[in-house]
Amino acid sequence: MILANGKLYENRQQEEILSRLEKEIEETRRTQSLSPETVITAVDRLRQRALDGEFDALLAPFLQTGLGPLIQKVLAAMSRESLTYRMQAELGGCPPPVVRTTPPMEQQEVEIRPVPLGTLLHIAAGNADGLPAYAAAEGLLTGNVNLIKLPQADSGLSVRLLWELTAMEPALADFLYAFDTPSEDVAAMKKLASIADGISIWGGEEAIRAVRALAPPGAKLMEWGHRLGFVYISGWENKEEEMRQLAEHILSTRQLLCSSCQTIFLDTEKEEELSGFCREFLPFLEQVAQKYPFVSMGEAAEVTLRRLDRELEGILSDTPLPYFSPPAAA
Amino acid sequence: MDSRSALFSFPDPYDLEGSRSLFLQAIEENVRFHYNACPEYRKIAQARGFSPHPLQTERELAELPILPTILFKRHDLRSMEGKKLLITATSSGTGGTPISIQFDMGGLFCGLRMVLRLGRYHHFFSPIPTNYIVMGYKPRRDNHTAAVKTAFGATLFTPAIRRRYALLYRDGKYVPDLDGVIQAIVSYSQSSLPTRFMGFPSYTYFVLHRMEEQGITVKLKPGSKIMLGGGWKQFYAQQVDKKALYALAKRVLDLSEKDFIEFFGAVEHPILYCSCPNHHFHIPVYSRVIIRDVHTLQPLPYGCPGLVNLITPMVKGAPLTSVMTDDLGVLHEPNSCGCGIPAPWLELLGRVGLKGLKTCAAGAAELLSEVKL
Repeated sequence: MILANGKLYENRQQEEILSRLEKEIEETRRTQSLSPETVITAVDRLRQRALDGEFDALLAPFLQTGLGPLIQKVLAAMSRESLTYRMQAELGGCPPPVVRTTPPMEQQEVEIRPVPLGTLLHIAAGNADGLPAYAAAEGLLTGNVNLIKLPQADSGLSVRLLWELTAMEPALADFLYAFDTPSEDVAAMKKLASIADGISIWGGEEAIRAVRALAPPGAKLMEWGHRLGFVYISGWENKEEEMRQLAEHILSTRQLLCSSCQTIFLDTEKEEELSGFCREFLPFLEQVAQKYPFVSMGEAAEVTLRRLDRELEGILSDTPLPYFSPPAAA
Repeated sequence: MDSRSALFSFPDPYDLEGSRSLFLQAIEENVRFHYNACPEYRKIAQARGFSPHPLQTERELAELPILPTILFKRHDLRSMEGKKLLITATSSGTGGTPISIQFDMGGLFCGLRMVLRLGRYHHFFSPIPTNYIVMGYKPRRDNHTAAVKTAFGATLFTPAIRRRYALLYRDGKYVPDLDGVIQAIVSYSQSSLPTRFMGFPSYTYFVLHRMEEQGITVKLKPGSKIMLGGGWKQFYAQQVDKKALYALAKRVLDLSEKDFIEFFGAVEHPILYCSCPNHHFHIPVYSRVIIRDVHTLQPLPYGCPGLVNLITPMVKGAPLTSVMTDDLGVLHEPNSCGCGIPAPWLELLGRVGLKGLKTCAAGAAELLSEVKL
């Protein structure tokens, strides 16, 4: 599905859309501009409709996986208060103020005003459904034309949300394009990159290098790199509660956010304390895991296959499996 | 003749009912053989409370010990030693560790009969000499990957006058030579003989795409075909783009959808599955497919998606009787395809995996693998 000028198109129309894209964007940038107020009003109204339950059917799959609280956070970030606050904090005001200043040595007074970069290509993060839509909202707030390359795993949520946004506020329509172009369509990716003044990308060094190779010389790269999150434990105040919360954090984020705990450091000199910790912590993980089940078939199948494999390994090696006893498969 | 040879000589390759008792007998023989010859297989069977016994119904196939393919990555499981093992086939290893499987001479002959019979059934053979474009590796003595063997083997369906390979061995590694292939296609199109393409779908797609980008279109001679094979992986990943590939071939080569023949098979289950005119993979008499519940591994009825469990008595070199792939699929009811082949057909849906689990780099990582090519 492709979103362009507030309309939805089939993927097979991609070529035709790409061929007129550059001209169209030039025209938009020549004749139109976006005020933050327009964007904030539209995004806040979309949030209100979500709160009223209008998109519940769309959101249902995510609510099932226990991601309800995360969606609440995203909705909060879409509120007028949050958006205005971010403009204020990051750009000094909403709209960003125009500053007049006179440089020294008898130079002329100059006016400093933030302007849009132009056209942004977002190579959207794939780990939080609907996040690409939020990235687009940020690009709109700053008055840019946004081309969003959706991750292949995007379930259609982003396109739908963006389409709703343009339907509610037609002024946004010409500033928003979303493509679920498969990544193997390198020609289309190159075309999108060639139009961009800035490319926002999430990824490790290798991925960023690959995107640099695609980007035209003038384009700025906005990189969001890998982060490793960890927990450092030097002691406990309320061991049981803290272990439960740590397990909750690990399972609820699936360890996938830059800020989620992927490693636990334990401040100790003794190795047996490490295995002791593991033994103690596992039941907490197992208990909380039931709150966050794998719902996709592929995930469930992978877990089942791993269990079968471990079971057979156990049989072949004549050794009991440490800390893990698989339920009988079949 | 043992029942395995009899099964692989069965006249109609899609008459599952007619060959049922032969199949069950061959499976029993095969299981008994591995049980006696492969200590690891016996150990697993015993732990599951299974011992070889005559099978009365297909339903009982579900009780056979299932070995997941991943087990073959860590264990060199074999039921034969030394000279009886004819060749070692290795998976292309695109998903990490390659798998090596030992083949026995008898199994290989069965494979040959199977290919001949299916080839005849699907009209792959032609006496007309043919130009070949092989979208895969050029064979070398130390490259054992099954993809090489299939791709080369398929060039034997018709007399090959020329073969051009997309992956050439240079300075110690394989490199794609797409431009060389395009030149070959252009020169073949001027020949009075048909051209056949064989190999990985992704390379075929890239070559045709590049031709279109460069504005090169040709008209291949009647009888030309595009044969797509390779691992399973490439297949389902390309599923969404199949229609695009057909359209591209029409524009660039003037070949139509019916000129496409698709294959799949796997090192761990060396049965040849060929697409019917509706692009479906029907189950031949040499194998059975059980779809299993992703939580409980219980067999599922037709039409329900689950893990793909493949069963064949073809191989004696290694205990491949019943293997569990890491693919998800659906088995569709007999006679539901409409192409005239009565056998049920298998639709691959994707691979197991924690792909719902995405790091923030997932979007860019998708891109990476493609840009690198």
